[in-house]
Amino acid sequence: MRYLGYRGQEMEEKTARMIEETAEELERGSMPKSIYREYACEVTKGRVKLGELTIESQNLATNLKGCERAVLLAATIGRAADFMIKKYSVTNMAKAAIVQAAGAACIESYVNEVEDAIREDAKNRGLFLRPRFSPGYGDFALEYQKDIFHMLECQKRIGVTLTEGNLMMPSKSVSAIIGLTTKERESCQMEKCSLCEKTDCEFRIQD
Amino acid sequence: MGFRDELGKKLLFFDGAMGTMLQEQGLQSGELPEIWNVTKEEVICGIHRQYLEAGCDIVKANTFGVNPFKMKGTGYTCEELTKKGIEVAKRAIEQSGRKAYAALDIGSLGKLLEPLGDLPFEEAYAAFRPMCIAGEQAGADLCLIETMNDTYEIKAAVLAAKENTSLPVVVTMVFDEDGKLLTGADMEAAVAMLEGLRVDALGLNCGFGPDIMRKFLPKLREVTSLPIVLNPNAGLPVVVDGKTSFHVGAEEFAGIMKEIALEGVSVMGGCCGTTPAHIRALVETCRNIPAMELTDKQRSVVSSYTHAVVFDNRPKIIGERINPTGKSRFKQALRENDLEYIYKEALAQQDQGAHILDVNVGLPEIDEIQMMRDVVKGLQGITDLPLQIDTSDAVAMETAMRLYNGKPLLNSVNGKQESMDAVFPLAAKYGGMIVCLTLDEGGIPDTAQGRIRIAKKIMKEAAKYGIGKKDLLIDTLTMTISTGQENAKTTLDALQYVRNVLGVHTTLGVSNISFGLPQRERVNTAFFTIALSQGLSAGIINPNSEAMMASYHSYCALNGSDSQCADYIAKYSKQEEQPKTSAAKSGELSLFDAVVRGLTESAYQAARKELETRKPLEVIDGALIPALDKVGQGFEKKTVFLPQLLMSADAAKAGFDAIKEHLKEGGDESSSKGTIVIATVKGDIHDIGKNIVKVLLENYGFQVIDLGKDVAPELVVETAKEHQVKLVGLSALMTTTVANMETTIQLLKQEMPECKVMVGGAVLTQTYADMIGADFYSGDAMGSVRYANELFGG
Repeated sequence: MRYLGYRGQEMEEKTARMIEETAEELERGSMPKSIYREYACEVTKGRVKLGELTIESQNLATNLKGCERAVLLAATIGRAADFMIKKYSVTNMAKAAIVQAAGAACIESYVNEVEDAIREDAKNRGLFLRPRFSPGYGDFALEYQKDIFHMLECQKRIGVTLTEGNLMMPSKSVSAIIGLTTKERESCQMEKCSLCEKTDCEFRIQD
Repeated sequence: MGFRDELGKKLLFFDGAMGTMLQEQGLQSGELPEIWNVTKEEVICGIHRQYLEAGCDIVKANTFGVNPFKMKGTGYTCEELTKKGIEVAKRAIEQSGRKAYAALDIGSLGKLLEPLGDLPFEEAYAAFRPMCIAGEQAGADLCLIETMNDTYEIKAAVLAAKENTSLPVVVTMVFDEDGKLLTGADMEAAVAMLEGLRVDALGLNCGFGPDIMRKFLPKLREVTSLPIVLNPNAGLPVVVDGKTSFHVGAEEFAGIMKEIALEGVSVMGGCCGTTPAHIRALVETCRNIPAMELTDKQRSVVSSYTHAVVFDNRPKIIGERINPTGKSRFKQALRENDLEYIYKEALAQQDQGAHILDVNVGLPEIDEIQMMRDVVKGLQGITDLPLQIDTSDAVAMETAMRLYNGKPLLNSVNGKQESMDAVFPLAAKYGGMIVCLTLDEGGIPDTAQGRIRIAKKIMKEAAKYGIGKKDLLIDTLTMTISTGQENAKTTLDALQYVRNVLGVHTTLGVSNISFGLPQRERVNTAFFTIALSQGLSAGIINPNSEAMMASYHSYCALNGSDSQCADYIAKYSKQEEQPKTSAAKSGELSLFDAVVRGLTESAYQAARKELETRKPLEVIDGALIPALDKVGQGFEKKTVFLPQLLMSADAAKAGFDAIKEHLKEGGDESSSKGTIVIATVKGDIHDIGKNIVKVLLENYGFQVIDLGKDVAPELVVETAKEHQVKLVGLSALMTTTVANMETTIQLLKQEMPECKVMVGGAVLTQTYADMIGADFYSGDAMGSVRYANELFGG
């Protein structure tokens, strides 16, 4: 609802029903899939080494500071959302916008679920999760998507591919790095919003 | 004896994994295994040798990852690595002294095809082509297309292999726990397409170990008539520290495979994690088990990219509405290239319960081939129903069949030699069921016997191409009863004979029966019901006709194909309420209220009504625009939220449609306030924001040229110049593509300094917009309308 610009406006029953029906249709068509793998992690100034992969990113290095292990994660809800957006852009723009928003919410909550599983597993080993960090956040370049996709075999395992511009298709997909730390207090949810340059964003969470 | 001779006759064995073996030999993560064909060919040859000594009959050459996208920048060509890969495999076979086959191994390109992805079908085909040619030249015995999870990509690969080589083609796919490909396609859909393309064998590989894969086999055996190939992993992958391992040992692997072999399979081997030990155990355990017996399942089936439609006891509905014949509005849409109108027709029929959509876009004054290409591509992006390709132009038919992601229905062939000579070769190559009209050089016989004779003739000719009666759908031709009392009886007599005696499925264009009569629907429904009871397998009808669909649903409930009348009850028990509420309310609503409340149908009716007493411009300025403004202001004040705004926009659009129709009836063309070009910039694939802007701008009377997404700067400028537009709207979602937005703006300003540019998209801010030289930034869709109105003085 948040993604649709809902701020407690009065809503007719018809609208509420449309949102509910469309979200249900999306849920029926979704094929959530995920893959994650854990790597040794080495953080130096402005640089992160993850398995064989070296990433130059100040922001990521800050995020992973002190982590000796990190999880590489990719997840998708499948193609249903893209397909429905295309379909409803022809017949019913309102539904297209609902799918767009519901799809964003779906992938977000699905990734949270996957992250919970990772958290649970890490806890058993006395490790805690840093907030997840995705290519495109701050100075973590999208270019690294290629390497991440290779390491996780995303195309084969979960059916997510990259476009020429390193965008993920299906579009309702997420890739991210999650640092594992031994110190619980460092795992607090530091706000990703504070790194973002779009200061007038409606969804920005204030520091 | 070659591979084709042995396939299906005795159980054959593939080798196991190559990648797993190479990692043991020191292949680094990220290193391309195929380069070893050149740099470490002895290692590759040695692995093949181990598998051959373990007893396999087929070795997969080390060519799985060869494709132009992955080879870019490696210094090697696809041809070179493929050739080398086959040569090494052949040499290993020779050295082993065994009789074995070398398979050209083709894997996925790793790119998503259009319409959801950015790789055009023909480019995928072109990427596979050089490997196929090089593989055959180097002496491959068969082509194995494996680890596939998208039917469209498979089709491109199969065509590349079949058109450029004479190699046998084997396809194995990866299904998920639910038995679906990652595209959502089920097994039946994939099988229908592959059998249509006439591959030599099909099956499963990778993804799972043999235990889970085994669960998919009963279904696969039920739906395919082809030999089945099974190459499972040694269990599920376990990844520790970036290193993948598999935990099902050789004996366990062979044990489960033996059970599978006894249940029936044609070729077995291994994928990830299997080693020469696995293959040795497999061959030793299963060597003496016979191959699965092959039987023709006699399934009459067409498919889309997601599912199959099977012709059986339950009749099917083929929607006839995508056809310009006798429809001036449809002709106009074709002439104006208004594909959206066509897509709406498609989706409306799907909503009404059509199973298959007929697609006829032929009009003398347009380029039918181009139109067919665009419409088939477009329809595949928005509907998952199988399509019936309806054209008399063989080139248009082939164009559509080639691009079609599935096994289509073809409309049509007839008893004329010329027609059969044109259509059957296409069906034999691409696959498809074919509507066969019972007419020939002598015209339409006026007796049932005459039509049956032609049906038999067509069946005989089809058989020459290996097209069995399961793939024919015979149309005994509906002729209007207004010109001959016997016409219905003749059609039905022939129909009954074809269905019951010849055992071939049937179809009819139902509504012709009443041509020239009043109240045609009455006759149509009666005839439709009779035809169904006489053995009609598929009616080509208008699914938007409630009466026709009621006949259909009632018939299915009566003939027992609607189990427990479930569909009938689901359809008609809830329908009671609907007409009451909407009909009662819509009568009272004014156009203004209908738009504000977002009621599309009411808005259309109200607009028609207002137009009876008021001029079009008064209706627009007096009701439509004020209503849109009210909702728009509400949106900006955040009292109305996005779906409500868009519902109102759709309702207003219906109102405008009513006005356009009214003007057209009066012979006027509607005028536009101005033309605006909009596009999502290069590299960006997010276009919903842009689409919302488009709908709103159109509502406010602008003509919008929508260039779509991922649009090159040059195309934007070219279009803007061609139409001499004053305003261009650009959208970008990603930080990375804002750079392309800037390039586009620069090019525009350089070529057309007068043209204004407005921009929008998630990452943009006013500051950003100023930085890249945009004239206007809007945070939401209403802002773009305000700016356009100011600029055009509206």
